[in-house]
Amino acid sequence: MADLQKENLLLEVLKNHFNDKIFDLKVQRHQRVHLRTTTEQIEAVLLYLKEKLGYKHLSHISCVDWIEENRFELVYILWHPEDKINVLVKVDVDRLNPVAPNIDYIWPQANTYEREMREMFGIQFPGLVGRKELILEDWDDLPPMRRDFDTLQYVMENFEFRSGREDAQNVRETIAKRTGEEIPEFAKKYSR
Amino acid sequence: MRKQKTTTIYLGPQHPGITGNMMVKLEVDGDTIVKAETHIGYLHRGFEKLMERRNWLQSFTIVCRICVPEPDPNEENYARGVEEIEGREVPEKARWIRMLVLELARIQAYLLWYGGQSASVGLYTIGQWSIGDRNYVLDLFEELTGGRVYHMYIWPGGVRRDLPKGFKDRVYKVMDYIEKRLDDYDRLLFDNAIFQKRAQGVGYIPPEKAIEWGVVGPPLRATGTKSDVRIDEPYEFYDQVEFVVPDFYKTSDVWARALVRRFEIRQAINIVRQVLDKMPEKGPVWNKIPNPHKWRIPRGDAYVKTESARGEFGYYVVSDGSQFPRRVHVRGPAYVHGITLLEKILVGQNISDVSMIMNSLGTCPPEMER
Repeated sequence: MADLQKENLLLEVLKNHFNDKIFDLKVQRHQRVHLRTTTEQIEAVLLYLKEKLGYKHLSHISCVDWIEENRFELVYILWHPEDKINVLVKVDVDRLNPVAPNIDYIWPQANTYEREMREMFGIQFPGLVGRKELILEDWDDLPPMRRDFDTLQYVMENFEFRSGREDAQNVRETIAKRTGEEIPEFAKKYSR
Repeated sequence: MRKQKTTTIYLGPQHPGITGNMMVKLEVDGDTIVKAETHIGYLHRGFEKLMERRNWLQSFTIVCRICVPEPDPNEENYARGVEEIEGREVPEKARWIRMLVLELARIQAYLLWYGGQSASVGLYTIGQWSIGDRNYVLDLFEELTGGRVYHMYIWPGGVRRDLPKGFKDRVYKVMDYIEKRLDDYDRLLFDNAIFQKRAQGVGYIPPEKAIEWGVVGPPLRATGTKSDVRIDEPYEFYDQVEFVVPDFYKTSDVWARALVRRFEIRQAINIVRQVLDKMPEKGPVWNKIPNPHKWRIPRGDAYVKTESARGEFGYYVVSDGSQFPRRVHVRGPAYVHGITLLEKILVGQNISDVSMIMNSLGTCPPEMER
């Protein structure tokens, strides 16, 4: 087990600088540090990590929909090329009014991630430039990566099943009917 | 003064620079690019959404389809992410087999790259050779996993089955053969005046900006930066094998990236040999998982990453304690390389060099859109 000296030192530096503006600090394991902050502080935290501490590489920005807790969780994953630590900075965004600061002036590639989140989760980033449509086209439904977007319902409403295959919706049953076999009891449970 | 006129050219969605469909909208003045804009959306399959409705084992069959030329880093990342949240141990032999698969995948990805890179400058012979030779590696995969391209082999807890009898010997033979063939490729591609003249000085990435712009993998190493996930954060048993990370090509153009890959395919062959030598003969290859329908992963999240043939390939896996993933988010190197970076470095280049630059960055639409 590698020692966690560098990781603990980083937490101490951040704690001294930001006091109670960051919370839930934890060393998950060797080379992984988690912390949480607020949308007001996120730019300051990211800029401090990048400019002062040398977390130059933005690996990833992710978004998780915690619908039952009424929040989106944005996760900024940074990497230090010399210290070799990944920091996961998390921030909660209100699900009913999802607005988060735009950070593409810190890292240009954040632009793509934010455009994708705007499209897939409906999170607004004030001042974000770039085409409105990244992956989807003419989309006016609920943003599709939200948990309450019903994929099956969308398919039923917008697509037609190919005609002539009405009987083939349930493969196992159809085969059984055609061949006159009986479906065993254990298989019925999983047939659909 | 006459107002400068530009023409708009749509390059794609089908063109030879990449594996998949993607369009680059170019504003050109004569044949010099003034502005480039990447348009994706032709290949979106919604895998991340699909995985929310599949259980942890069903999701494993989806992840390999995210990247067509190199599916194994996906499988390994997903498996390692799940194992990290759950705290599941992986048997020693399984980890060696994973390394073997990853390195074989790197070799076949580089052989495919040889074809794409040379075809983008009009040299089609190399592609026919290297893709023919790549089939020998795919034959090995077929024997080991049952699939040639999508393997579905590395799964949570280990790998799906042990090596077949006599498999090691066949891997040694294929490695010897490919190593011999690499000299032929050198003569055809790297000694070729066409490729030398066209690749040198084209597609320059400023080294001081590279890390900030999110460049990873061979393009970053071609700026003279020593960066490799296998060294920076050794996963599996990469700390027990010896290999050199090329940080001595510093010109940061298409030529340097080609040299980095040329060097690395030889390193990968060496790693495969070391893995075969060090792999234990006997032992379990799978730490059995419970009934997949009832298999719950405790609440938690993990970011795991692999060095793929195109750079850092990361997975952010989140579990909410149920038998379905809450979120599996893929960080592919092409997501940055193919959009923001490409749009930047294409400015000032020639139209005919676009597909060459895209190929040298490892642009891969299936992995951008998931």
